[in-house]
Amino acid sequence: MAAAMAPMEQFAVKPLVEHPLFHLFGHAIYFTNQALWMFIVVGAISAFMMAAVSKRSLVPSRLQSMAEISYEFVNNMINSAAGDEGLKFFPFVFTIFMFVLFCNVLGILPGSFTVTSQIAVTFALAAFIILLVIATGFMRHGIGFLKLFVPKAPFVLLLLLVPIEIISFFTRPISLSVRLFANMLAGHTMLKVFAAFVIMLGGAGGILAFLSIAPFALIVAITALELLVAFLQAYVFAILTCIYLGEAINLHDHH
Amino acid sequence: MRTEIKAIGGAMSDTGPDDLKRLGARLDEVQRKRARGARPAPSQVSIAYRFGAEMFAGVVGGGAIGWGLDWLFGRFGYPTKPWLMIVFVVLGTAAGIRNVMHAAKEINEQMAAQGSVPAVKSDEED
Repeated sequence: MAAAMAPMEQFAVKPLVEHPLFHLFGHAIYFTNQALWMFIVVGAISAFMMAAVSKRSLVPSRLQSMAEISYEFVNNMINSAAGDEGLKFFPFVFTIFMFVLFCNVLGILPGSFTVTSQIAVTFALAAFIILLVIATGFMRHGIGFLKLFVPKAPFVLLLLLVPIEIISFFTRPISLSVRLFANMLAGHTMLKVFAAFVIMLGGAGGILAFLSIAPFALIVAITALELLVAFLQAYVFAILTCIYLGEAINLHDHH
Repeated sequence: MRTEIKAIGGAMSDTGPDDLKRLGARLDEVQRKRARGARPAPSQVSIAYRFGAEMFAGVVGGGAIGWGLDWLFGRFGYPTKPWLMIVFVVLGTAAGIRNVMHAAKEINEQMAAQGSVPAVKSDEED
């Protein structure tokens, strides 16, 4: 009952092994439940892709179709957002998409740990993406990449607009990571809160115990919604990666 | 890929039975629809999350940049604290509003591409 009454308890990062693995800059690094679930996610993706393409039949099996659909899905996503040049980044975007998707979906399993509900994880991903965007932009356009920050406007306004554009660029990783993290956190907290209602009503006995059916039905519905959110957020994360990369590659910014 | 399906459909019109011809036509239709609205329109909740995150990121990001600059200048002996943070929170709020406006424009375009709302003519000149 205590666990059910603490809806945030599911997000606690706990070391699984008592002794730290090693020390880095004076900090003890532990093997946590978060690390375990990242390994599980990576293992699941690898197993899925390897099992799917091991046969390589001309008429694909169901599993192979799933792999092919996810390939084509990401391929079209990059093409529509970043153009043909963006396809160079296919392995990167596909990895990001599959990682976020599997983290989100496996997080729905009862008793599992949602890696993407940690702002540390989502922000690390987003910060890496934005660094890659900056590196790509400067490698392709040199100093001309800075034109991204100069909208078409009279000179006097530029004094105000350029700082705003620069801040807006550097806040992208924040909005990217906060959106994914907030979606996951909110959905899972909601599930736990309704689960607590079931237990409280059930424990109350009498006619109230029958009422516990109502929040239970809601949990089923919300779980389905969570599955949709899991896909949607993985998609949003990946497509924004594509859009940002596309801007750095083509420099035809969306102003 | 679309040309492939067209080729199959074309071949079928010469030799194949009628239902295969119809299947080819339907595949063509689906492909055309998909090309038009490549991205699914976001749901109301995801729009709300998006606007919230953009606005939050602008204000917090601007404040963080200003705070960092204050700290940096402070270390080099220019006590600007807290002025840069104040300025950058204001600029960051502006950036947040700009982000939300761009997001709204993007969503409008997506929805217009799918025909669920009429296209809104942008009042920006670019």
